[in-house]
Amino acid sequence: MQRKHHRILKTLLPGVIVGAGILLLASSHKGYAIPPFARKYQTSCQTCHLDFPKLNDFGKAFKDAGFKFPADDETYIKEPPVLLGAPANKDSFPNSVWPGEVPGLPPVGLRYNQFFQYTGSNRNQFDALATPGAAPGLVPATDFQAGLFSIFTAGNFGSGIAWWVDDDISVSGDNSAGALGDAYLKFVDIGRFIKLPKDSLSLRAGQFELDLPVTQARSINLSPYDIFQEANVGAAIPGAMQQNVGNQYTFADAARGIELSGGHSYGGYHYSVAVFDQNTTGISQSSNSFPYVPSATGSAGGGVGFSSDSSMKNVYARASYRFNLERDPKSRRAIQAAGATGPHDHTYLNFGTFYMYGDSLQRFTGATVGGITEVLSNREPYYRAGGDFSFNYRTFNVYGLYMYARDSDNLPMDATGAPIPLPLSGSPTPAGFVRGLPATFSGGFVQADYLVHPWLMAIARWDQVNSSADRINGLAFATNTSYFAPYSSSRDRFTPGVQFFIRANIKASFEYQIRPRQFVTVGSLANGNPVALNPFRVNTAVFALEFVY
Amino acid sequence: MKHEGNTQTMKQTTQILLFASAAILAGAGGLRAGVISGTVNPAKADSVVYINAIAGKTFPAPAKPFEIDQKSLMFHPHVIAAPVGSTVQFLNSDKVQHNIFWPSINGDKKLSHNLGTWPMGEQRSFKFDTPGVVPLLCNVHPEMAAYIIVTPTPYYAVTDASGGFKIADVPDGSYTVTAWHEGMKILAKPVTLSGSATVDFSLTK
Repeated sequence: MQRKHHRILKTLLPGVIVGAGILLLASSHKGYAIPPFARKYQTSCQTCHLDFPKLNDFGKAFKDAGFKFPADDETYIKEPPVLLGAPANKDSFPNSVWPGEVPGLPPVGLRYNQFFQYTGSNRNQFDALATPGAAPGLVPATDFQAGLFSIFTAGNFGSGIAWWVDDDISVSGDNSAGALGDAYLKFVDIGRFIKLPKDSLSLRAGQFELDLPVTQARSINLSPYDIFQEANVGAAIPGAMQQNVGNQYTFADAARGIELSGGHSYGGYHYSVAVFDQNTTGISQSSNSFPYVPSATGSAGGGVGFSSDSSMKNVYARASYRFNLERDPKSRRAIQAAGATGPHDHTYLNFGTFYMYGDSLQRFTGATVGGITEVLSNREPYYRAGGDFSFNYRTFNVYGLYMYARDSDNLPMDATGAPIPLPLSGSPTPAGFVRGLPATFSGGFVQADYLVHPWLMAIARWDQVNSSADRINGLAFATNTSYFAPYSSSRDRFTPGVQFFIRANIKASFEYQIRPRQFVTVGSLANGNPVALNPFRVNTAVFALEFVY
Repeated sequence: MKHEGNTQTMKQTTQILLFASAAILAGAGGLRAGVISGTVNPAKADSVVYINAIAGKTFPAPAKPFEIDQKSLMFHPHVIAAPVGSTVQFLNSDKVQHNIFWPSINGDKKLSHNLGTWPMGEQRSFKFDTPGVVPLLCNVHPEMAAYIIVTPTPYYAVTDASGGFKIADVPDGSYTVTAWHEGMKILAKPVTLSGSATVDFSLTK
């Protein structure tokens, strides 16, 4: 169950693009950027966003409040809602439906991005992977590419009920089906019904990106955070160093479940606890159907399918505290700090921690005893844990996280107690499991954003993933197979970038990815162990143009 | 003979009174106060029409300050005219923080100023000693804008919804009258006032 993420495409020389951007900036214009909230309140994107979709402190407060102004929301609405029942119906309940409201105009926003990518000459190193005698695949040096066309809708139904749905209508320009992103209802501040402190308890239900320390779904970067893309598949070398893990789950995946949360993301404490479907085999919902028991959306023929591949539900928890550092306590507690030249984001230090627990299920066909085939269930608990920080001073923000992942590893053994080499071939059949070496990986990233001008953002990012299993698998499979083969167990990537706003809703972005070293040639040491040869980097320069409206 | 003497006296007295009145009126700066009226086209509200500086004449600043409020992420009113030397009070009636600054006065960036941030219920003031167009902005909410037209004389008017204006109590004389509207080119015209005068403006972009 892989979540969508931006495709990387090809670009012109950076200097040409920057020059074109400046030319576009110079033209005069009077207009308003108007995605759904901007339309509703007749306000510019910069009210909530520093560099869309990155939120400023007011935007965080707006989101925490259920996509409405934190106080006196009705005084700011320029587009009155449609009442679904007069408010006086509250007095006649239960003899009437509790009144609500919907936005006056459909609060729909659209977003489109397109790319241009230049890939370095080392892209031809992969020619060595071609089958002898066959023409190797071509990676073009430069390429224009259509990206995602997404629709999103969000808002507040009144009474503290908010919603968000986003979907990629078209991917890659060929109208192929995209993926549903976040789609949820949020019941804000339900703690008020049980006399809890304000904003201490909210409930979100549906499909959503977990409450990660740093969002990937709404990141300003063109390329994803490597650690969020990492799955723990374990070492898979047949006959040696083999682990029976194969966990396809990544933090980039959408979670389907419920989440309780509280606090504020613009100051003070914040927490969340989510319970969501587990899917470690990577099976898609449409393929995961069962003929005899219908899913919620289908008939006995299977319907749309089940999202989970086990009954176990994952649990994710996050806790953080943000220290706003202004001397004036009134300014510290406000949504934004009061500056000499106007309100601005707080100077703050934020620390957090997160933990996710799951229990992967593998089922194997065992021996047949008395005409009955045994089905063996192998449960491998796994967890992801880490910490994060963020420091902000005016428009300079540096933040990062570190994560450690561990999956238990149970190896199948036969009736004599001997481990069975993987992959299983049908004989001998497993009779049980023995504890093996856990599969682990770790890593994280550090990023610095600096909004030089309200229309210009400079970015520098460093990603690292440490995975011995990935390197081992690369050594085993690199030759003559298209398998990503990191040269080192530790993969580092440095990505500088710049983004500038042609208009408040039109953005041009550039990033240069100095990618980790990799290899396709494997040699042998004197002792017969494999060794990677001729490491290289396939660096890419990516330029993107996107707009929202 | 005595009757002729009385008539002569009355005539002289009347002449003295007339001359004295004329002198008084002349000393007051004009023989009479008139009205300059007209229309600013395209017919729109929030145009400002004012009489340019009059050589040799200065006027005291008004004692009562003008007010501009920030409410529902908008300035209220959108346009005001205030004679040079006026004080404008800026209020914040929103529960969000606002900021007011102007990048220039009449295009002179050296006269830019930022009033900072203040919360709901508080106000800040500024005395405008330089005539010209003052565009007001908020650096938190870029869509917010308003204008203060600091006029060189106390003779000005803001047009109504149909673009009409009336500048009253203007002494007779020859003046230059200027019309301003947001986004349009400023237009100035000579006007000679003798009791009343009509001048229409057709502004262009």
